[in-house]
Amino acid sequence: MASSSSLGRVLTLSKQLQSVFRISPAISVQHCVVNLKRCQNNLLSETFSSFASSWITPISFVGQHRALHTTISRRGLEEFFDQPENWGESNVKSGAPWTAKQLRTKSNEDLHKLWYVLLKERNMLLTLEQEAKRQRIQMPSPERMKKIERSMVRLDTVVKERETALRLLQTGQEKGRPGEWRRNVFGYEYWYRFKEYTIPWYMNKRHKRKKFYTPYFVQPHIRLRIERFLRERTRKASLKKKTLAKLKERFPQTKLPSS
Amino acid sequence: MSRLSYPLYQLGNPQLRIFRPNWLLTLVRPGKEQPPDTVQFRIPMDMTKYDVKNYLEKIYNVPVGVIRTRIQFGENIHSLFYSQAQGQTFTFPDIFPEKDRTPKEGSMEEMQEKFMEDEKQRQKLDPRRGGVTEWFGL
Repeated sequence: MASSSSLGRVLTLSKQLQSVFRISPAISVQHCVVNLKRCQNNLLSETFSSFASSWITPISFVGQHRALHTTISRRGLEEFFDQPENWGESNVKSGAPWTAKQLRTKSNEDLHKLWYVLLKERNMLLTLEQEAKRQRIQMPSPERMKKIERSMVRLDTVVKERETALRLLQTGQEKGRPGEWRRNVFGYEYWYRFKEYTIPWYMNKRHKRKKFYTPYFVQPHIRLRIERFLRERTRKASLKKKTLAKLKERFPQTKLPSS
Repeated sequence: MSRLSYPLYQLGNPQLRIFRPNWLLTLVRPGKEQPPDTVQFRIPMDMTKYDVKNYLEKIYNVPVGVIRTRIQFGENIHSLFYSQAQGQTFTFPDIFPEKDRTPKEGSMEEMQEKFMEDEKQRQKLDPRRGGVTEWFGL
């Protein structure tokens, strides 16, 4: 991960200090890792100085291996805006988005913190976008929004994977919210997810009006639906065959995919 | 994670906690003049005043006073004002100041600017015609 030199220096220093003071590696996640290769040297030098000051003071040696965590960014509403050096720039450099593979290597604590870092960054980009619309100026580097969104989605999937795995091991259930397969009035089977109510379903007048079975008079409509589906399928297949036959006629030597 | 339906609460239940909230806040410049301690946000529709208060206090560590909300139609926004705790002021900064951009020698920006200037020059009319179009005339 030590791509740029200053970033590498901070991380190697953090690793050394880890071995000495047994600080959890999560602190170094905070500012340096919003986007992987963020080349903002000012930011890194700032955080380095605040690293040193924040590490030295709140360390406790009471026999536990984890020291206190201090959040470095406590600037309040300033976090809704980018760093003042980037105001007015037309391009702001940012690195690649997080991939699911990289996120799977991180601990749960790290992922939790990263979620909030990404959330704050996303809020900042949204405020920037809105302000740019207000001032009728182009937003600097709008690709950051998509990167952040994708990173957050991937983080969510990774956390969900871990949750389902844990739940399967502990309880044998795959889904957190109970549900079952039910048939609706139109003949479709769908996964109905249970909802919490204060009264049972047979006392709920509004809920009883909802039908979880298919009445008998819907059968002809279901049949027509099936016919339409089959017709579409055969039409697609025959279209493919015809196009291949035409190509074969026009270009006899070419090797066509056998379908 | 903000869900569509929250679990039911009955007396004695533990406090509902939301981990990794998916709510996005947008700080906007207020349309009308506001007192200096008021900040305006756009929030999603499923956030309540308590949600906003906790969000700002816990995630951004900002002391919050009164929160007032209103619904803004258009593209499903939920406008909101909020005032900070005693004595703190906030002015919306100028995020797009004018910066002198002199491109470096031989860089892409310089070439682009030159190209744009040439294009503009080509599209300008003949100065001898004095502003009249070339559609008519000889």
